[in-house]
Order: sequence, then structure tokens, then C-alpha cells
Amino acid sequence: MKLKGLGLFALGTVFGLEGIRLLSSKDAKKVYTYCTAGVLRVKDAVLDQVTTLQENCTDIYEDAKAINEERTKKEEDAGV
Amino acid sequence: MKYTVKHEGKNRVRIHLAMKRLSFREADIFEYYLKSFDEIREAKVYERTADAAIVYSGDRLRISDIIERFSFEDTEVPESVFECSGREMSAQYYDRIVTTVILHFGKRIILPFSLRRIWGTVKAAKYIWRGVKTLKNRHLQVEVLDALAITSAVLTGDYDTASNVMFLLKIGDTLEEWTHKRSVDNLARRMSLNIDKVWLMTEDGEVLTDSSSVACGDRVIVRMGNVIPFDGEVDSGEAMVNQASMTGESEPVNKSTGMSVFAGTVIEEGELTIRVTQTGGCGRFDRIVKMIEESEKLKSSLESRAERLADRLVPYTLLASGLTWLISRNITKAVSVLMVDYSCALKMAMPLSVLSAIKEASEHDITVKGGKFLEAVADADTIVFDKTGTITKAQPTVVKVISFNDEPEDELLRQAACLEEHFPHSVARAVVDAAFEKGLLHEEMHTNVEYIVAHGIASEIDGQKAVIGSYHFVFEDELVTIPDDKKEQFDSLPDEYSHLYFAKNGMLSACILIADPMRKETREVVERLREQGFEHIVMMTGDNEKTAAKIAAEAGITEYYAEVLPEDKAKFVEKAKAGGHRVIMVGDGINDSPALSVADAGIAISDGAQIARQIADITIASENLESLIALKKISILLMKRIRFNYKAIVGFNTTLIGLGIAGAMSPSTSAMLHNGSTVALGLKSMTSLLPEEKKEQSL
Repeated sequence: MKLKGLGLFALGTVFGLEGIRLLSSKDAKKVYTYCTAGVLRVKDAVLDQVTTLQENCTDIYEDAKAINEERTKKEEDAGV
Repeated sequence: MKYTVKHEGKNRVRIHLAMKRLSFREADIFEYYLKSFDEIREAKVYERTADAAIVYSGDRLRISDIIERFSFEDTEVPESVFECSGREMSAQYYDRIVTTVILHFGKRIILPFSLRRIWGTVKAAKYIWRGVKTLKNRHLQVEVLDALAITSAVLTGDYDTASNVMFLLKIGDTLEEWTHKRSVDNLARRMSLNIDKVWLMTEDGEVLTDSSSVACGDRVIVRMGNVIPFDGEVDSGEAMVNQASMTGESEPVNKSTGMSVFAGTVIEEGELTIRVTQTGGCGRFDRIVKMIEESEKLKSSLESRAERLADRLVPYTLLASGLTWLISRNITKAVSVLMVDYSCALKMAMPLSVLSAIKEASEHDITVKGGKFLEAVADADTIVFDKTGTITKAQPTVVKVISFNDEPEDELLRQAACLEEHFPHSVARAVVDAAFEKGLLHEEMHTNVEYIVAHGIASEIDGQKAVIGSYHFVFEDELVTIPDDKKEQFDSLPDEYSHLYFAKNGMLSACILIADPMRKETREVVERLREQGFEHIVMMTGDNEKTAAKIAAEAGITEYYAEVLPEDKAKFVEKAKAGGHRVIMVGDGINDSPALSVADAGIAISDGAQIARQIADITIASENLESLIALKKISILLMKRIRFNYKAIVGFNTTLIGLGIAGAMSPSTSAMLHNGSTVALGLKSMTSLLPEEKKEQSL
């Protein structure tokens, strides 16, 4: 028990002394940058997908409207 | 340019350019190019995918040909198209909304619960602070309810609910901001497309010049009722300038030699010669946007009722929650009442309804500055028209000049035009145009022009005092007399025309007969407006009684006022408002601006005076008065939709609460139903208000 406490204390000290410097080092910054770039790429890809989806939905909607227009026209013609 | 066809429908095709992505600028160029062809009825370019959806009429092969011949380099596009495209803004907001959605759901998958808890708590603080702030102002508004719901959710450890509520609120906020930005932008787009002319001071006197060719150091002259086009310093003159667009202060300030003036401010009285220190060009669009936003701020003291509908629910919800606790002594149940976020649904549905209504209005060439004006139009029972430019055609024409002093008619017309070209009024423009058509060019022959709004102009020509204007101005104010031997001729002037009197040295020199033919659609529009629920349709004009009576009868208007002064128009509007009426004023000149600003909704005609457009809440295109009918229809339907949304949201969610309290429905089912209904109503709110075929008819 005591040992574990001591170990944690030591770890904390080391982190306080070196860890923060490590986390704010140049190499670490590079890692952050790459991660962020990755996240942005994912976002971009999702946005692309959303736009494509929107385009396809519009296609379907417009075609559906055209079909119905045709139908109404045919019915009208038949009625006359 | 190379392309592939992605989808082929009836008279509609979606193509993909052989590129991965388009820049905003490229997308604008392509869209501008496509729209410039008559065969293409509609085109929408998606910059993100380099796709374009094209609706066409006629031959499909021709469309392929058009696209093949396209190239970015060879297409000439006016700079204003980019300045005003709004593509970037839409993309930004779109981006923001999608990011919010991704973050919301993404963090559930990626972040561990403990971190989400911290995130949620931190974000909750913002909303709680908002609620506290409104309480401090002694308002019981939706923000309080939001704050309570979020707080209680956080305190009871229900972080998912807290984050859901915040997520929907954020989407609602973004949409609201987008709505506002978009309507302001729409408006600015319209305004900035009007190419401005300014009076440039040159060695040969004043010359009317395109504002784009003015350089720093030039001197320009700005008169009453006009917007100062550039930042600069007063070179000479004195004026009262309304700087509301810069400072928000609505009282005009005095400007005299040496003082700075700002672009976008308006001269209310007087005249200034300004040495330009900064020319427009770039940033003109931004300036207009800023100007409109500022004037919006001045007006926002009275927020739209519809937007505040949700506030009414706050006390009831608090009460219901308290009662639940009293009866059941169960905190969770009491909190669950708070948690039904009426406000989220309302906040999503309302701005979406308003946004789509404003967008729909713009398809009819109507520009609306804000949702609350649509509300005013929907409620209005009185509509006041200024005759010139609204009931009648925007372009009155000179029929004849009758000389009273034996000078040739053309010479009199030339002198009259010389004076009138300084006056921003459609009748004045008619005189100038008539002189121009007859090839009567003139050098500036008069001295300083004095303005007297709506009545006329006074100045000096060759040392003689010259006045031009209405009967009231010329004969009653200026006490001009009619030459004795011409009295008979004066009495026999034809009544069917408006009369413009021109006098020199206190003696009548000429009467200019102006025909101001009624728009062909006026009668029908008046009739339909009456059907739409306008109890009072009023015409006001500065013209004489006989002309007014004739036009009113022709238009089917029973209530009219002739020989009206601008102040009287505003007074009439105020009186009608005091009498419990909701009043719309339709006008186009500077002289209408007082009335436009006091009316519940001021409607300006788009090619009227600048100040009228700036003050007006709604602008309609000049070609067609029928857009008034569309406007009223859209407004009424919008209000109907808002009321329906309100009822549906309140009713549905109250039922959910009831079922929840009774224990008949599990919380997760009710949450699903709640969110589903919110999204469905939001989507429904974006559909067109007017039925499709009607739209095509009026286009």
C-alpha cells in the first residue's frame, strides 16, 4: 500500500518535472497537428458525403415530381 | 470543359466537371455562365463536389454544347457577382451545422463517459449564465427554462439529456443567425447592384458621374435625401446628417466645413460638397451590410412576437413542474416536465419558417428586412399608397410644355430640366428625360439649388429667381402670379394630367403637363388586396384634386387625399395606427420616407430614392405591383404556419409529458418521439408557402 503510494508520488513528480515538457515538445506538437489534420479530413469527407447525398436526394425529388406531372397530364388527356 | 453526366432527368441534368473541387470563385463563375443562357431555366453549382444541376428547356444537345464551351478564363464576370454571391457564407454555416452534428454524435462514440461529463458541465455553464442574465433583467424568458432544464439534468446526472438539449439549442441558434445574415445579405445584394451616380465637381461645374470613376481628392456634391457615397471631409456647405448607420444615433448631427463625413450616412437637410478621402470599390457590399445591420439594431427594440412565442410558455412550465412535485413528491418526475424542451423545437421551427418565407418572397423580387415585417403585413388592415410610382407607372412622362411668357417651349423645358435634374423624384426625372430626348443639352445656368422637399425647387437663373414645383408651392408659398392675359389659358389647362409649374421672377413662365399613366395591373391589384382583407386602401398624392379623383376612380380606390404634404402622409399613418389599425405604407420618393418609417411596415419600390429604400422594411421590384399580393399571401401563410407549429409543438410535447408522468411511456421512447417531431416540423417549415403553380403564374 505504502509502496503504491510512493510509486504514484514518484510518477507525479516525474510528470511534473518532465511530462509537461514532453507534452509541449516540438515532436508532440507534430503529433497534435497530424491528429488535427486527420480530424479535419474526416470532417471534410463527411461534408462531401452529405453534399452528394443532398444532390442525389434532389435528383430523386425532381424526377418524382416529373413523373407525377406526367401522370396528371395523362389523366387530364384521358379525361378530355 | 470536360464533364461527365451524373444524372439525367426530364429537362434536368446533373453533371460533374472534371475537377475534384471548385473554389467559391470558380463556382460563382460557372453558375453565372450557365444562368446567362436563355435555354437554362435554373442552375445550381455545388462547389464541394464540382457538380452542377441544370434545369433547361429545349434541346438537350444545346446544353452539352454550352457546358463543353465553358472555360473559367474566357468567361467575363462582373466583380459584383463575387462580392454578392453569398456562397461562402452559406458554406460556412452549412459547415458549422454539420460540424456541430458530427461533434455531438462523434463524441458519444469516441469520448469516455467521464470526459463527456466534464465537457457537458463546462458547456452547460454558458447556458446557465445566459439564463441568469435574463433573470437579472427581470425577464422570464425561454433562456431561464433552458438553464433550469440543463442545470437539473446535470445535477441529476443525466448528461446525455443535458447534451441533447444543448445540441438542439445550438443548432437553433446557428439557424437563427443564418436567417438573419441571409436576409440582410439578400437586401444588401439588391442595394449594391444599383449602380450609383454622383455629382462630381469639375472645372466646368457639376457633372453626373458613375461613382466608380471617382478618385480620392475629388469633390462631390451631395444633397438632401441622398446617401453620402464616400468617406470624406466637408469642403463647403452645411447640412444635418443622419449617422444612424454609423453610430446608431437617430438624431441628425450638424456638419460644416472641415468635418468628416462617412459613407452610408444620409443628408436629411442641406447640401454638402465633400472632398473624398476614401473611395468605395472594395468593401462597398460590406458597408451596406453594416448599414442595414445597424438600422436593424435601432428597430429591434420591438422584437417579433412570433419569435417570442416560446416565452409565454415559461411560467406554465414552471408551474406544471412545481405541481408535479407537490403531487407526486418525486423530483425526477418534476424535472422531466422541465426537460420537455418546447423551446428547442420552437427555436428550430420558427427561424426556419421565417427564413424560407423570406427566401420565397425574394423569388418574387420582394426583399424583406426581417421576419417581424412579414408579421406586420399579415396583420395589416390598412394600406396607404403614394400615387406616383406605385399606383401609377414608375415613369411619368412629359406630354406638353405650355408657355406662359412667350419663350419657346423647348427653351423652357431646357431650363426646367436644368433645375429638376437635382431633384430625386420621378416627376423630376421625367422632365430631365424629356429634355434629353429632344436633344436639349444644357450647361448649368443656375446658382445654388435650394431644396424644398415634395413641393419643389428654388434657385436662380440669370439673376432671376426661378421656382419649379406643385401648385401649392408655386402659388401659395412663393406667391407667383399668372400673367393677366393668360388667365383664360391657365383655367383651360387639361385636368387629366398632373401639372408642374415653372415660374421666373414671380411670374408663371410655363406649365409642364405630366402624364402619369396608371399601371395596367393596378385595378386588379387593388381589388385583390381588398379581397385579402385590407379594409382601407388609401391613395395619397401631392397632385391636384381633379387628377387625384380621376386616378382613384380608375384604380377603384374610394379613399384618397389630394394635395398632401409629406408630413401629412406620416401624420395620417400615425393617426390610423392610433386608431388601432395596422398600416402598410407603399412609396418611392424622399417625400414618402417619414411615412415609411412610421408605418408598421414600410414598402419601397426598388428604383425609388435611396433614402426610401434605406428606411423601408420591405422593397419590391418596380415592374410589378402584383408582388404586393404575393407578399400579403406569403405573410398570412407564414403566420398560419407559425401558429400551427406552435400548437403542434405544444400539443404534442404536452401529451408526451402527460404520458411520461402517468408512466405510460418510457423516457427513451418519448425522447425519440420528441426529437423526431422536432426534425419533422423543421423540415416541413422549409417547404414553400405558396402552391407551386401559382408561383409559375406570377413569375
